[in-house]
Amino acid sequence: MSSHYEAPIRKPLVIGDKSYHDITVEVAAPVEGKANKLWWVAFSISLAAFLWGLGAIIYTIGTGIGVWGLNKTVGWAWDITNFVWWVGIGHAGTLISAVLLLFRQKWRMGINRSAEAMTIFSVVQAGLFPVIHMGRVWDAHYVLPIPNQFGTLWTNFNSPLLWDVFAISTYLSVSLVFWWTGLLPDFAMLRDRAVKPFQKKIYSLVSFGWTGRAKDWQRFEEVSLVLAGLATPLVLSVHTIVSFDFATSVIPGWHTTIFPPYFVAGAVFSGFAMVNTLLIIMRKVSNLEAYITKQHIELMNIIIMITGSIVGCAYITELFIAWYSGVEYEQYAFLNRATGPYAWAYWIMMSCNVFSPQFMWFKKLRTSIMFSFVISIVVNIGMWFERFVIIVTSLHRDYLPSSWTMFSPTFVDIAIYVGTIGFFFVLFLLYARTFPVIAQAEVKSILKSSGDNYKKLRDGNHE
Amino acid sequence: MASNKKYWKSVEELNENSSIVDTLKHNEFVEEIPTDDFLGDKESLEASSTTRRDFLKYVGFTTAAASLAACEGPVVKSIPYVIQPDDIIPGVADYYATTMADGFDFANVLVKVREGRPIKIEPNKEVNGSTNARVQASVLSLYDSLRLRGPKADGQDISWDEANSQIGAKLNEIKAAGLPIAVLTGTMASPSTNKLIAALNDTFGNVNHVVYDAVSESAALDAFEAMYGERALPDYKFENAEVIVSVGADFLGDWQGGDFEAGYAKGRVPKKGKMSRHIQFESNMTLSGANADKRIALTPSDQIKVLARLYATMTGGPVTMEITPLTEAVSKAAAQLKKAGSKAVVVTGIQDKNAQLLALAINKVLNSEVIDVAAPRYVREGNDTRVAALVADMNAGKVGALIMNGVNPAYTLPNADEFVAGLEKVQLSVAFSMQDTETVAKSQYALATPHYLESWGDVQIKKGHYSLVQPTIQPLFDTRQFQDALLAWTGNTTSYYEYLKAEWNAEVLGGTSWNQALHDGVFASEGTSEVAEVSVDMGAVLGALPVMRGEGFQLNLYTKTGLGDGQQANNPWLQEFPDPITRTSWDNYLTMSKADADANGVVNYNVANGALNGSLVELTVNGKTEVLPVYVQPGQAKGSLGLALGYGRTNGMKSEMLTGKNAYAFYNDFNTFQGNATIKVLSEEHEFACVQLHNTLMGRGDIVKETDLATYNDSSLDSKHTWNKVPVVSMDHKEVEATSVDLWDAFDRSVGHHFNLSIDLNACTGCGACVIACHAENNVPVVGKEEIRKSRDMHWLRIDRYYSHEEDFGSDVEKKLAGTGVNGYKDTMAELEDPAENPSVAFQPVMCQHCNHAPCETVCPVAATSHGRQGQNQMAYNRCVGTRYCANNCPYKVRRFNWFKYAENSEFDYNMNDDLGKMVLNPDVTVRSRGVMEKCSMCIQMTQATILKAKKEGRPVNTNEFETACSNACSTGAMVFGDVNNKEDKVTSLAEDKRAYHLLEHIGTRPNVVYQVKVKNTTEA
Repeated sequence: MSSHYEAPIRKPLVIGDKSYHDITVEVAAPVEGKANKLWWVAFSISLAAFLWGLGAIIYTIGTGIGVWGLNKTVGWAWDITNFVWWVGIGHAGTLISAVLLLFRQKWRMGINRSAEAMTIFSVVQAGLFPVIHMGRVWDAHYVLPIPNQFGTLWTNFNSPLLWDVFAISTYLSVSLVFWWTGLLPDFAMLRDRAVKPFQKKIYSLVSFGWTGRAKDWQRFEEVSLVLAGLATPLVLSVHTIVSFDFATSVIPGWHTTIFPPYFVAGAVFSGFAMVNTLLIIMRKVSNLEAYITKQHIELMNIIIMITGSIVGCAYITELFIAWYSGVEYEQYAFLNRATGPYAWAYWIMMSCNVFSPQFMWFKKLRTSIMFSFVISIVVNIGMWFERFVIIVTSLHRDYLPSSWTMFSPTFVDIAIYVGTIGFFFVLFLLYARTFPVIAQAEVKSILKSSGDNYKKLRDGNHE
Repeated sequence: MASNKKYWKSVEELNENSSIVDTLKHNEFVEEIPTDDFLGDKESLEASSTTRRDFLKYVGFTTAAASLAACEGPVVKSIPYVIQPDDIIPGVADYYATTMADGFDFANVLVKVREGRPIKIEPNKEVNGSTNARVQASVLSLYDSLRLRGPKADGQDISWDEANSQIGAKLNEIKAAGLPIAVLTGTMASPSTNKLIAALNDTFGNVNHVVYDAVSESAALDAFEAMYGERALPDYKFENAEVIVSVGADFLGDWQGGDFEAGYAKGRVPKKGKMSRHIQFESNMTLSGANADKRIALTPSDQIKVLARLYATMTGGPVTMEITPLTEAVSKAAAQLKKAGSKAVVVTGIQDKNAQLLALAINKVLNSEVIDVAAPRYVREGNDTRVAALVADMNAGKVGALIMNGVNPAYTLPNADEFVAGLEKVQLSVAFSMQDTETVAKSQYALATPHYLESWGDVQIKKGHYSLVQPTIQPLFDTRQFQDALLAWTGNTTSYYEYLKAEWNAEVLGGTSWNQALHDGVFASEGTSEVAEVSVDMGAVLGALPVMRGEGFQLNLYTKTGLGDGQQANNPWLQEFPDPITRTSWDNYLTMSKADADANGVVNYNVANGALNGSLVELTVNGKTEVLPVYVQPGQAKGSLGLALGYGRTNGMKSEMLTGKNAYAFYNDFNTFQGNATIKVLSEEHEFACVQLHNTLMGRGDIVKETDLATYNDSSLDSKHTWNKVPVVSMDHKEVEATSVDLWDAFDRSVGHHFNLSIDLNACTGCGACVIACHAENNVPVVGKEEIRKSRDMHWLRIDRYYSHEEDFGSDVEKKLAGTGVNGYKDTMAELEDPAENPSVAFQPVMCQHCNHAPCETVCPVAATSHGRQGQNQMAYNRCVGTRYCANNCPYKVRRFNWFKYAENSEFDYNMNDDLGKMVLNPDVTVRSRGVMEKCSMCIQMTQATILKAKKEGRPVNTNEFETACSNACSTGAMVFGDVNNKEDKVTSLAEDKRAYHLLEHIGTRPNVVYQVKVKNTTEA
């Protein structure tokens, strides 16, 4: 670490002839400048979607869960599908910031801030669903182990749903702390540059008195490392626990030991896709192409390809095990997935999640910004369907054929889902205008080793 | 109330002019109020910490507080007893024996009364009473908010005295005019009422009493009369039968008044290796056909031929009818009948006197012990010819007055228009009715009658078997019984109660106690009667058999288990009751075979949320046309159509209950068989509300286990490895019984009670009485057609009905196993989704299985569902937050979620939305709020009550004392509930029977509900 040397084979992570000051200016630009028309359009659409969803949630709480399309056989559908989908998306952030930090992957520095923001915002969306899917939301606090005067009235620690409560809240809080820690020097940078008193006041408040002393930096590094160590198991645990909701049950199609690794891989898969979706837009809109380079996108595409293949293996393994188990209920559950009334959903899932990432084997395709963007959307469509397939097709035809039925969403189901997407983008768009969207302090630390101009200087390309 | 009482306050008052008394009179306070002490001392006043301002604050605060407290609080309408009745202890139910007799259903029942409100009907088991779904539901009809609430004349309210005097005067006018008075009633089978009608005849003369059954058994009555000299129906003791051959008789349904399932089921449970064999020839898929060992689907016209041929084969006479392609089946049936001899019986539902005579004659030839002609039943008395004659007379202006009781001919007559036209020509029309019916609307006087739970009465269900009807509640409305009116018109001042009592003491009781008879509900008189035998020319009978000719479909009208003849059409429990066969609620429809549907382009398909849609067709029979939906019915005979009566009522109905179409329009000549039916397929579709959308068992032989009698009797077979296979799992690379592997530590179950419920699939006929009993006992909400369509029925107890894809369920399993390879498996499973043309049928009541290792319990995050000490899986509604995780993880899918607020919600305008309908609620069971999960509790309120009762009486709970609502309602004995820790309890031996198995045993849930393997008697001759 002492030297700025980096192997010439490594591609530059900061393009162009940037100085430290350039980085500061470019990262602060979206915050200090005025929002363009496009931002306002996007924000209005997101806000409208959010308000529509909010209305649908209020309607649900006021009238009853019956306004959704659920029934006696299919007790969960879009609610928990959306929940798992959002939690999954929320995985990339921690993976990028924590795991890649521990592995000293420098390319994470260009993207970790936004990836973590995405994590937090999507976990917020995810957290909504377990709450609003309750028939009696007003009693939601029953799921917390709050001491009470009833003595033995306590939560059921056997229930995976309770594990979810702890897993998600832990994940959210650790991610938030980790994110905010990283933000401190950057907020301080904004504070120092701010000219309007109100802005200055706010940024000095949120930067927790960062002064940039050596001691500050030393503590910053240590805390980051400790938090990375704490967050790394969470990357695995959160989705493992979410998968327990299904894996510990007795329903064919849910009762599967492969779920934890399969869910974690799927989560990383969808999370990276979402990061790609967001950053491809953001690098363009906020003129950050120098920091979020093709190289970043390519590396993420490779992760998408690998995790997509793991997920594909899991799908095949599920089918194999169903056959190999010799249990007719298990066999039928998977036959029904692939050929039953929801076969269309299964094959959307298969083509989006297993086939589409395989294009990334081709360098030309994985370095194409446009193609990466399309695939990132396709992957998230596929991952939504994966959860839908797991939840709905397992439930709608389980043990006793007399209870078999179908599920079809109502407009409220759709509104709430669209509403969370709106909510997510409202948060993200606000974030893009008020937060330093690139961890500029960290990027500066690799400028001399991985900056395009410095690399050229060092590698003797003096032309 | 002025009073001269003087209250003495002290001795001093004795002295006149006592100074003390005088002082006191003028001085309210004995001692002077020491205001000076308070206010006079300036020093202390100044020293006080309470300033004037403080004082004003206090005054202000107290005034504000007092006025706030005076604001109106919530008004809770509860009226305490001023004088508590002797026989009512709040919280303790009283039971009264009474009898339901509405002209269609006749049953000896016990009425559970809580705080003066009848809330549940139970069979009066002490006198072998049994109940069906309609009888169970009849308590809700008492609280029907649209009942007639008082007498009316031409639609205007009128007092009873006025009505009686007006009618009396008119009757006298008619008497003077010399016109006849017609009394049109349903079957009442009431000796005292018959006497009163005779008294009416004595008073006014020329009274013509016509008995009219909406769904007629006139043909059977005529046939019995022709052969045995009495207009009645033979009784059948199916428990004595070894072979039962039914030609179109749904004797497990409403055939000849029904109530045969208990006897039938007794003979169907294999005992000492024997059970009856049941062969059914029919066109609609009925409960009887579904339970038969062999069911042959054939059109109504073929049924007539089969019966004729059966008679010929049995008697060796010439076969007058052409030989159908079913010769072999008939010969086999005949051979089995002959072999069983007097232990065999033939019944028929063909509405033709000659056909009925043939069946009687065959039974005579067999010398059948099953048929009982000595003590016939009086549950149907209607006479079609006389009804037809009455309508003709009315139109001819030959009827002076028409007095109707408990009938609704303007709805139930095929020629209702003619009847209504005739009614207008009658000088006086009086309709006694509980409901605001179509007939009431057309009558001059609508006289509100009480529900049977508010009435006195007597019924002779069977010869020598007298039952009493007694009120269990004060009449809710200004109603009077028909009999009371008859008494008034005939100038008799006694009440009907007194009349009835006197009548019974004089005629029936023979000196025994009236109170005892009233307590028992039934009085059975001793003594046998002679059976008159009239010889019948069977040759003529054979020759006169009806021949159904012509093109088109043959329509077979029937009554549904839920609505019956339609009297209780405004009863939401019955509307939502899924038909045991089609599992469709809130509708009637044409049933059609798959072959005919395909040929005519009629479709049934499931929409995106699974709900069933079906084509609409225009049915034309005998010039009458109606648009009806088609339900494609497996087992429906090709060329035949089925259609249920009792739907399409229009008057006195909540808008939600206006379901189906009136099929009585097609009930020409009171014949359930109608030829020449044509259909025209329309482009529109109908939306059905089915609670079961998948009809086959998919070869899952471990869900409904079935075997045949020969295998069952084969003692060389180890049942655990052959016909009642215990599932095995692999443990340490060895195959072991799934029940021996356990992830959990089991509770110690040996202490206290441990409840089990045994369900015998052989005895269960699918009648659904338990479904309604559960509804009533547990305050299960009605959710309506739209919600049922969304698969959100709330029934805690359902009766699954499965069809086989092959001939029987065993072959389904073989077919499934034969489908190897990916494609083979896929294609086989796809095929197994479709039921056979004439499938085997299995009924399986499913409620919460009360698993000892319940999957629902582990997943609830708030521990709202947990295990009871006595084996129940319990729900704490207050704790439930409604995640529905438990329902998802329930392998039996028995948990029901409150998607909406079902009580006191105008969106769900059923009985829980009106004050009257809410009276039926069981106070021992919570009405669940929106957003909580609910399910069968194994009637914990009943088991706890039993335990408490025993505790109070200082004794252990008796053997077989525990009951649940379903086991109590089950007349076939299929459901047996009890404590397996009591070795004497019936359920203990059943739980260990070699037929016993648990549903989905391989999951390891260890249910407390036990099923008994279904055994079929497949031995042919």
